Amino acid sequence: MDLSFCLQLLLNGVVIGVIYALVAMGLSLIFGVLEIVNFAHGEFYMLGAMLAYFLTMNAGLGYWATILVVTAVAMGLGYVLYEALLGSLHGEGFERSILLTLGLSMVLQNGAVFVFTTTPKMMQTPYSYSNVSLGDLRVSVMRLLALGLGLLAFGALYLILYRTRVGKAMRGVAQSRDAALMVGIDPRAVSRLAVAIGIGLSGLAGAALAPVYAVHPLMGFSFVFKAFAIIIIGGLGNIAGAAITAVGLGILESFVGGFFPLVMVDALAFTSMIAILLLRPQGLFGRGVRV
Amino acid sequence: MARWLRALLVVVGVAALFAIPRVTGNEYVLALGVSFATFAVLSGGLNLVYGYTGLLSFAQVGFFGIGGYTAALLVTERGWSLWAGAAAGGVLAALVGLVVGYSSLRLSRHAFAIVSLSFALLCLIVARDWVSLTRGAMGIPGLPIPAMDLPGGLRWRLAQPRDFYYLTVGFAVVAQAAIYLVVSSRLGRAMRAIKLNEPLAQSQGINPLSYKLLAIALSALLAGIVGGFFVFYLTIVDPSIFDFYYTETMLIMVIIGGPGSFWGVLGSTAVLAALPDLLRFTTDLRMVLYGVVLIAAVLLFPDGVGGWLRRRRIARWRRPRVAPP
Repeated sequence: MDLSFCLQLLLNGVVIGVIYALVAMGLSLIFGVLEIVNFAHGEFYMLGAMLAYFLTMNAGLGYWATILVVTAVAMGLGYVLYEALLGSLHGEGFERSILLTLGLSMVLQNGAVFVFTTTPKMMQTPYSYSNVSLGDLRVSVMRLLALGLGLLAFGALYLILYRTRVGKAMRGVAQSRDAALMVGIDPRAVSRLAVAIGIGLSGLAGAALAPVYAVHPLMGFSFVFKAFAIIIIGGLGNIAGAAITAVGLGILESFVGGFFPLVMVDALAFTSMIAILLLRPQGLFGRGVRV
Repeated sequence: MARWLRALLVVVGVAALFAIPRVTGNEYVLALGVSFATFAVLSGGLNLVYGYTGLLSFAQVGFFGIGGYTAALLVTERGWSLWAGAAAGGVLAALVGLVVGYSSLRLSRHAFAIVSLSFALLCLIVARDWVSLTRGAMGIPGLPIPAMDLPGGLRWRLAQPRDFYYLTVGFAVVAQAAIYLVVSSRLGRAMRAIKLNEPLAQSQGINPLSYKLLAIALSALLAGIVGGFFVFYLTIVDPSIFDFYYTETMLIMVIIGGPGSFWGVLGSTAVLAALPDLLRFTTDLRMVLYGVVLIAAVLLFPDGVGGWLRRRRIARWRRPRVAPP
């Protein structure tokens, strides 16, 4: 086995894993704070990528401006989503929240198919064809930028959750909604922010990956399915667990993809999820340290 | 409604369904009938799992497609009969359902919902990418006209749409009867108790896991068998048998009909099976419309038609019999 090939696989795996982590952490944050599984989460990833495509190709925005605008728009969408749909569900059944977000996902996904058609689009940026060489290793700049953005978002989320009052409030609500209410934390405000951050992370992931992979309306669908597996493996509601699992899964998938047929890559997330559920139902990192 | 009247209506209804192909040979009507019968099995199974037992499942379409692929492969590659192929498909689907259910239900019903969705998506991906078994995205076209040995030495070739109409409607009647027997028996009462209050049900000596697994396995068995029949009706099986369209349609049928209401779901299935053809003007926007309907139903009308009827009935019982002076 060739060392540089393995390093290449490792690097690709880390990049995709970090992007998985962005989506999965948002999903996990929303579950931890609201006890809602957002089935429409992948569609916001898709919308982020779509918006990035149109801002770059049609509006002529630069790479960094695009990333900023997409993240801001996605956070705005998160606010709207909470105010319009999720906020009205409080304490009223987990199944209803799933059906609601599933309906939203159908509307967004099929609406996107209707408007943009299913033809995949490639997003071109000034850095699209440049590579960085490190010895035998060649990495495209876009992948490195995606990696950097992901790590930046990790850091920002960590700082918000552990170094700000509102982050503390968010962790409090996730631990016990009633107790948080009793000490004067407004669960609605906290939930709204959690949804906004979660959707914002998903949009950012879409924008960061848009120049690496093709953009099309069904991309969110297959992506979120891995995010679900990740949050189960990492422990439902455990954000750090989700991040670690995501990076691990990305690397594992990259290596499996390097040596085995494609179907094994796709089945990997699911079979690991079933195995974890059978052996350690609370997830690798349990619920004790959630959020 | 009096018991005998309801039984009479059921007998008349079933007789009418079987009389339709004699009255009209119109293939369009027969196609609607096959679609209704297929969806009746699927939505009935989902109602058993979600409506009665309270487990939101997205795995039904996976069981349906597993049944379809199993039957198609066994008939074309191994020369099995359609009966045996569809039965094997149903059994395989039920076994898979037990694995999915057992592994995730130990954690929570939240995990079950997520795992069942992942499972359905995985089925689609495996059907597309495991080319050596499923022949990939092209699927297995040109499934042969199946023939069945009937008791009495007769051989039934299912060559006409009408034959498939009899087959699927006949199976749908059997499946509905099975579901009705379960939900109206001790088993069904235990399932409803689990849905309403699981710890309380447990304290009465009910083991929730076994009832949940029973509901999942039965619905998977029925969905798998009907999947086997359905692909031979289409004469092709390809990864689109796992399309999310089926899940969404089933869910809407159950939600609008009223989760946990046997007749409500059957009625909404009949209406909604005919509806896609009324909505034909906009094939592309149909799924968007379904999404909007799902959101609206969940927000405004969560108990569906069945729940509304039940509330009305209870209100009537509560009304005083004698008018106050």
